[in-house]
Amino acid sequence: MTGTNELHDLVAPYALDALEPLERARFEAHLDTCEACFEELIGFAATAARLGEAHAETPSTDLRDRILAQAASTPQERVLRTTMPPRWRRALPRLAVAAALLLGVAGVGGYVVEHQRVSEERDQNVAISRVLGAADAETSTKSFSNGGTVRLLTSREQDAAVVVARSLPSPGEGKVYQVWMVSKDVPTSQGTFTTSGTMLMKGVSSADALAVTVEPDGGSEHPTSDPVVTIPV
Amino acid sequence: MAEPARLHVAGGAAEPADPSLLLQRVARGDDAALGQLYDLLGAAVLALARRIVRDPARAEEVTQEVFVQAWQTAARYDPSRGSARTWLMTLAHRRAVDVVRHDQAATDREDRYDWSSGPDHDVVSETVTIRLEQQQVRRCLDGLTPLQREAIELAYYQGHTYPEVAELLDANLATVKTRMRDGLIRLRDCMGVEA
Ligand SMILES: [Zn+2]
Repeated sequence: MTGTNELHDLVAPYALDALEPLERARFEAHLDTCEACFEELIGFAATAARLGEAHAETPSTDLRDRILAQAASTPQERVLRTTMPPRWRRALPRLAVAAALLLGVAGVGGYVVEHQRVSEERDQNVAISRVLGAADAETSTKSFSNGGTVRLLTSREQDAAVVVARSLPSPGEGKVYQVWMVSKDVPTSQGTFTTSGTMLMKGVSSADALAVTVEPDGGSEHPTSDPVVTIPV
Repeated sequence: MAEPARLHVAGGAAEPADPSLLLQRVARGDDAALGQLYDLLGAAVLALARRIVRDPARAEEVTQEVFVQAWQTAARYDPSRGSARTWLMTLAHRRAVDVVRHDQAATDREDRYDWSSGPDHDVVSETVTIRLEQQQVRRCLDGLTPLQREAIELAYYQGHTYPEVAELLDANLATVKTRMRDGLIRLRDCMGVEA
């Protein structure tokens, strides 16, 4: 794994989005504790954004209307709004942070804009950072045809895992995705999300698999449909 | 993108098109502000997406996703931590890079190295508006050493990871990281970005 000294060298590649996913996650965990890297990143991120603005191209005339039409039918995220059960709701600030930490979840404008919240949630964030930074962290990913992914990062050492769902196809009107940790065929709910979400799972040493099902809004006590994704733990 | 906002904004037609204010209005559900943000930055987002994902139709999809994601997640924007332009362009770049890596993972990875004679500077031929700011960016890029410029362009405009850049340039990883860092510092200073 990348040592701490080497992590300091990743500010520039990170600002250019030039890190592999796992290294990106590790660097973001490092950013949370390294003020020097964070300060440097502010300037690098602004510089990279300027590179992004160096060209302009005329879009199709109807692109604007398509965007506004899609926005009109897309609910806006309110910070901390959730359909998760209470114990997950309490953990949500941390989950929102983890979403930023991990792989730049689509919809999060990079780490820079999230960092203040990270600072405030530093303590709560430790568990997730530990999983991301664990030397034995393993990652597995399932992809959907629309480009959405469910990613599982597991650390045996920490006896914990982080699940990141990103840009999944809509589960349908009045439905949500529900995440289950399955131990000896017994599923335990880990929370719900609509198209993207992040959650920390503890006690994974006894788990056999992670499963995601489509359930009615609010989630179910037991799965009521076949999993759309299973990942062995 | 020089076209003025087409939607009337309640509260004053003279409202300045400051992306940070627009984004904060978007966060409150103001779709006219989303339209104005698009008028301001849509052409830049599209050009960036086009450079990275290449396919014009895919680039428009990415642009649409980026603005819809801005709509969805504008509440997360914190103006005390950098400009809304940076926020949006960071979002756009990350999305385009993720898309191109996802797409390319599904194809023969060797395909990506076909152009290895160097970055293609002519992909974006249809430049509409060259603002002073854009000219400045180009002038600053011209001020880099060739090696710094290559490393930064392969990563930022082509979506390569730094290990891929190292392979393409036949350089070791430490050298590539150093070139990227030195290049960004030089660009930052040239552009007058607050460090
Ligand atoms: Zn550091």
